[in-house]
Amino acid sequence: MLRIKNLHTSYGAVKVLRNISLHVAEREIVCLIGANGAGKTTLLFTIMGLVHPNAGQIIFQEQEISNMPTPEIVCLGISLVPEGRQIFYPLTVEENLELGAYHRRKNDPKEKIQADMEHVYQLFPRLKERRGQIAGTLSGGEQQMLAIGRAFMARPKLLMLDEPSLGLAPRLVDKIMDTILALNQEGLTILLVEQNARRALEIAHRGYVLETGRIVLQGHTQELLTDEDVRRAYLGRDYQKFTD
Amino acid sequence: MSLEDRIEYLSPEGWRQWQLELLQSTLNRVYQRVPFYRKLMEENGIKPEDIGELEDLKKLPFTTREHLAQNYPYDLFAVPLRDIVRLHAFPGPKAPIVKGFTSRDLKALRGLTCRFLTHCGVTSEDIVQICLDPGMSIWIEEIKEGAETLGALVIPPDPQSAQDRLRIMHDFRTSVLISTPSYALHLLHYMQKEGLLPPKSLRLAVLVGEEIDGQNRLRLEQAMNLNTRLGYGITEVIGPGMGYECEEKQGYHLAADYFLAEIIDPKTLRPLPPGQIGELVVTTLSIKANPLIRFRTGDLTQLLDSPCPCGRTTPRIGPIVGRCDGRLSIRGIKISLDYLEELLREVYHHLPAYCLRIKRHHYLEELELWLAINEQLFEPSILGLHRIMEKFQHRFNETFGLPCRLKLVEKEHLDAFAQGQKVIVS
Repeated sequence: MLRIKNLHTSYGAVKVLRNISLHVAEREIVCLIGANGAGKTTLLFTIMGLVHPNAGQIIFQEQEISNMPTPEIVCLGISLVPEGRQIFYPLTVEENLELGAYHRRKNDPKEKIQADMEHVYQLFPRLKERRGQIAGTLSGGEQQMLAIGRAFMARPKLLMLDEPSLGLAPRLVDKIMDTILALNQEGLTILLVEQNARRALEIAHRGYVLETGRIVLQGHTQELLTDEDVRRAYLGRDYQKFTD
Repeated sequence: MSLEDRIEYLSPEGWRQWQLELLQSTLNRVYQRVPFYRKLMEENGIKPEDIGELEDLKKLPFTTREHLAQNYPYDLFAVPLRDIVRLHAFPGPKAPIVKGFTSRDLKALRGLTCRFLTHCGVTSEDIVQICLDPGMSIWIEEIKEGAETLGALVIPPDPQSAQDRLRIMHDFRTSVLISTPSYALHLLHYMQKEGLLPPKSLRLAVLVGEEIDGQNRLRLEQAMNLNTRLGYGITEVIGPGMGYECEEKQGYHLAADYFLAEIIDPKTLRPLPPGQIGELVVTTLSIKANPLIRFRTGDLTQLLDSPCPCGRTTPRIGPIVGRCDGRLSIRGIKISLDYLEELLREVYHHLPAYCLRIKRHHYLEELELWLAINEQLFEPSILGLHRIMEKFQHRFNETFGLPCRLKLVEKEHLDAFAQGQKVIVS
């Protein structure tokens, strides 16, 4: 579905991504793990067209998108749930969701958009309860649900999530991860960036490890979970000892 | 279909992307972590970022067996030593060649061996008897583990005569024999000589370590009433399962998710197109402990271009038609003359004139080393001469896991026999 080849991105003179190649197949959950500053968010921004690459190809459904403006990329079917949610705080929950479907207002009938909203409410009943509430007053977990719901309203084929578990209580992290799994089982393809490597690897099919802008490792998540480097760098070296 | 099942049927574009990703991450790791490769790449003015296509691989320098020995003990590891859970050492003329495995590597290797055995037709219902020489210990170990993972009953090769092995085969209803082609033919010869019938339960022979010609293969299949499949692997690189025959028996399918294969002209070192015989060069793609970049295997073969009727899209190579590095393959065990000379020097403190004779005795290769007797080798008593011979025979067996008979002859006799050759096959 998504194929990236030899991608280089820099902020001014600072090279952030060096020769990145990766792919996400249809109906897959692929996770990107890496330390702070490894380039994970930059990679998502480059795919979304928010940052322009210096070189390389990004091919989405056989179409080159590396120089496309962001709105067109969204229309093609890629949505991003940004880190820190970035919802529209002064607007209500429902208004936020409606804005997620903004680009569909001309082509899609109202009923279809309404049905998608109902689907979001089904996924997150809490949002339905608070549909008229101002988004800024929601708790962190609810805001994250809203951010995912808003991205879903764009009817994406590929959903990219940047640190969806950041700052959430463990129970809410479970809920968010379950939702990501449910969305995938409905047929949505997912590219997930997470610092919580263990949780990400538990739900994903494959993973890539990014280190200072380069991919140094990839594989099935089962392989990565037992990989010595991944365990040391991202899962905590003695993790096994104190949990078992 | 799981990813493991789908992988062999990827589209050409899918393979290019998959292999490129693995190649780039392997290069990123070796550049950062393997001093030998970093130096080699810097000397050639190449950075990992310069590899944007699979074709760019040819910009990278080769790795040879000499490099492996020169960098003994630690300079080829791409992981800290504490991550290594198994270490194999191969005999080498100057220093041993060591190969480490992380637990992830071992798991991957087991997965590959399982794939190889499954494609050969081995199932959990099978009783697998391995008959390989001790010199092929890595093969024995990997095949044993792979077959056990599949759930088959495994009979590893304890030292036994052909007679005892056949008896076990009969009594325990062995269904799969894993051996070298020459040993399978040797068993057949033994059965025919003794008037024994082949075990009825035996339905498949997986032949590894050597090639077998079509005529002998047919004879084996007909006389023993079984199917045969061939397997290919190089222990210094990955191990068994690197290449395997599918049901169509049209060359070896390569495990392209584990390594990249190129064929080069061994003289000009330029890549050769499919259909031309050259040296197989291998770059590992998913090995963590000891990745190898453009390793020259010394095996002569060709890439097959046409798609395989079985539908798998992995690249294929033809049979191994010879070797270009001067090493000999005896019963699946590789022996280099350099190392043989080194052993002679070590045992006798000089290098006498010699000729290695490879004899076939009931299909099994036997080694006989003819040495020209000289003053340093001479002893006035028969016992003394025996002791001299014994010294080398023992050292050879210890090194290669293979017996080699030593014969002391007069220089003129040796010259007449060898006629300038160091190896005579008779």
